Amino acid sequence: MKILPTLAQIVIRILLAAVAVAITSVVLITFRGFFSTSVVALLYLLMVVLCTTIGGFTAGTAASILAFLTFNYFFLPPFSSFTVAHTQDLVALFVFLTVAVVVSNLMGRAQTRLEQIKARERESAHLYDLSSTLTAIWDEKQIAEVLAQHLLAAFQGEWVEVWIQTNLPDGDCQKGPCIQVRLPENALPGAGAAFQQSQTLSTHRGQLGTIHLWTKQPGLSPIELRLFQIIASQAALAVERALLAKSENRAKVLEESDRLKTAILSSVSHDLRTPLASIQAAASSLYGSPVILEAEARAELQSLLLEETEHLNQMVGNLLNMSRIEAGALKLQTQWNSLADLIDTVVERMQRQTIRHRIEIDVSEDLPLIRIDATLIEQVFINLIGNSLKYAPAGTRIWVRAFVQDPAWMQITLVNQGPAIPEEHLEHIFEKFYTFPGMRQVSSTGLGLSICKGIVEAHGGRIWASNQTDGLAFCFTLPLSKADPLSVLPDESPKQEISTIEGPQIL
Amino acid sequence: MSSQPTILVIDDEQQILRAMRTILGQHNYRVVTACSGAEGLALAATSMPDVIILDLGLPDMDGKDVCKQLRSWTQTPVIILSVRDGDSDKVGALDNGADDYLTKPFSVDELLARVRVALRHRSLMQGAKTSIVQAGDVIIDLAKHLVTRKGEDVKLSSTEFKLLAYLASNAGRVLTYRAILTNVWGYAEANQMEYLRVYILQLRRKLEENPRRPRMIITEIGVGYRFIT
Repeated sequence: MKILPTLAQIVIRILLAAVAVAITSVVLITFRGFFSTSVVALLYLLMVVLCTTIGGFTAGTAASILAFLTFNYFFLPPFSSFTVAHTQDLVALFVFLTVAVVVSNLMGRAQTRLEQIKARERESAHLYDLSSTLTAIWDEKQIAEVLAQHLLAAFQGEWVEVWIQTNLPDGDCQKGPCIQVRLPENALPGAGAAFQQSQTLSTHRGQLGTIHLWTKQPGLSPIELRLFQIIASQAALAVERALLAKSENRAKVLEESDRLKTAILSSVSHDLRTPLASIQAAASSLYGSPVILEAEARAELQSLLLEETEHLNQMVGNLLNMSRIEAGALKLQTQWNSLADLIDTVVERMQRQTIRHRIEIDVSEDLPLIRIDATLIEQVFINLIGNSLKYAPAGTRIWVRAFVQDPAWMQITLVNQGPAIPEEHLEHIFEKFYTFPGMRQVSSTGLGLSICKGIVEAHGGRIWASNQTDGLAFCFTLPLSKADPLSVLPDESPKQEISTIEGPQIL
Repeated sequence: MSSQPTILVIDDEQQILRAMRTILGQHNYRVVTACSGAEGLALAATSMPDVIILDLGLPDMDGKDVCKQLRSWTQTPVIILSVRDGDSDKVGALDNGADDYLTKPFSVDELLARVRVALRHRSLMQGAKTSIVQAGDVIIDLAKHLVTRKGEDVKLSSTEFKLLAYLASNAGRVLTYRAILTNVWGYAEANQMEYLRVYILQLRRKLEENPRRPRMIITEIGVGYRFIT
C-alpha cells in the first residue's frame, strides 16, 4: 500500500542502477570489437528500460545518468576520458541522455500508476471485505475485534486499540460504558512504535468510539489516511446499526414487560379480589356478627377462610414466579433428583386439595436420576395438578406417568378426565392469560401453565397438551444428562451382625 | 420440659409478632419478641428461650449470620421463617445451623407441630445422651450399630447405617444435602448427590412400611431430608 519510497529504498534503487550499468559496461567493453557505437548506445538504452521496469523511476533516472557517463567514458573517442572529440558524438550523447531519461520517466510513471491501481484495488477489496464482514455482525465486541484485525492488516500497524460505546450516546457522549479491544493483546501501548494515528467513530448521533493505530513509520500517506477514515466511517455505521438494534430489542422487551404488568394489574384487581372478598366476608362474620353463629356455620366460614388464603397464596406465588421468569431471573439450581420421590412428595403435600380426585402415580423409583431444579419442577407439578383439579370434575382420575422416552429425554405425562380443549387452542394454552370462547370460568391468574412452560423450557425441555379419549393430557420432557448412577454404586456388603435388642425403648 | 417453655420470635413485621404472641400464648408458651437481629441476639442470651423462631428478612442482619452467631454459643433449636419456597437463604440458614423452616404463609398447625418437634429435639440434646432412637416400628441402636423393624433385624451396609444414624440422631431437624454429605461422606460434591438419592431409596425400601409414602425419612424438596420419630 506504500507509494512514497523511503530513503533506504531510494539508496537501494540507485545501487541497483549502478550494478546494472557496471555489468552492462563490463560486457560491452569485453565484446567492444563486435558492436558499433550506435548498437552500444541502444544496448545501454535497453538496460535503462529494464532498470526502470524493475526499480521504477528512481532507478531508471540513475541508470540513465550513469549510462550517459560510462558510454561517454568508454565508448566515445577519446576513450577513457569524459571529453568528447566530435560534435556529432556530443549530439549523439545528449540524444542518448534525453531518450534514456524520457523513457525511464515514462516507464516509471506507468509503473507508479500500476502500483497505485493495485493499491486502490487492494483498498477496495479490503473495504469490501470489511463492510461485508461488518454487515453480518450485530455485537459491538465482535465489531471491535474485526475492526482491530483489519486495521492491523491494512496498515501493517504495530498495535491497534479500538474503543466502542455499548450504548447509543444520549447527548453526553464518551460517558457511557465502553468496550475496548487491543491487538496484539499482550502488546504495551506504543512499545516499539512511536507514531500514533487516531480517528473517532462518529455519526450524526455523536461519537460512538475511537480507534488508535500505532505504526513504526511516521505518519500515513494521503491515500492511507483516506483509507483509515473510510474504515472509521464504515465502522461507525456498523456500530450505530448494532446499537440501534440493541436499543430496539430493549424497547421490545420493555414493551412486553409493560404489557405483562398491565395484564398482571388487571388480573390482580379482579382475580385476587375474589378470594379476598370471601376472606373478608368470612372474617367479618366470625368477628363482629350481631347474630350468634351456629357451630356448623362457624366451621364453614373457618374452612372458607383457610381455603381462600391458600388460594390467594398460590396466586401470589404464581405472580412472583412469572415475574421471575419474565425478568430472566430464573436461575436454575439443579441437582440430582429422583422424579418418583419428587412426585410422591408433591402429591403427599397436596393431599388436602386433591381429596376430591383420585391421583394415580405411575412413576418408577428405578427411573434414572435427573438433574433438575427440584423446587421449580415441584411448581410445575403443583400447577399442572392444580389445573386438573380446577377443570376436571370431582371424583375423576388424575394419572401421573414418567418414562424414559429415549436415551436423552425423560417424558412426564399428566392425564386428567377434564373437558377437551378445541385443537386450535391447544398450543396456546401455555401462553399468559390465554382464554378461548367456551372455556369454563374458574378463578385463576391465567399464569399457571405459562409458568410451567417457562420452567420446563429453562430446563431445556418442551411442554405441550393433547386431547385424549376421555380427558386432557399435559406432557413435558426433561433432558437426561447421564447414565443411570444406580449401576455404578460402590458395592457394599452388609456388615451388620445379627443380634437382638432387648425390647423397644421409647424416647 | 419445664412448665412453660419460652419461645423467642424474631421478626420485623408487627402483625406476625402480634399473631405469634396470641397463638403461641394460647398454647401455653411464654413468648418473647424482638424486631431486629441485634435485639434478637441480645434477647436470646438474656431470656434463655427454649425455641427461637427467626424471620430471614430482617432489616439489620442477614438471617444466615444470626444463625451463625447463635450457633457459636447455643444449641437452642432455631426455626426459620422464609417467604418463598425457592429461597436460597433458607438453605443457607439451615446450613448454618438452623433446625427447621416454615414458609410464609403457614398454618397454625404447622407452626405448633414444628415448635413441638423443636422442643423434643431440645430435650433430647439436653437429656442424657441416648443411643436408641425409635421411629414407628423401627428401632435404631446407634451405639451397637443395630437396626430392627417389627422386632426383626434389618441388614444395612455400613454407609446405609452411617446415613441412617446421622438422620436419626438429628431427628426432627431439616438436614440439608450439604450437611448430610459432609457428615456422612466427609465432603459435599455434586456427584455424591446421586449416591445420597440411591441410599435414601434403599433405606426407605428396608425400613418404611410403604417406601412410596415414607413416614420416617421425609423429603424436603430442594432442601434435604428430615427424619421423623
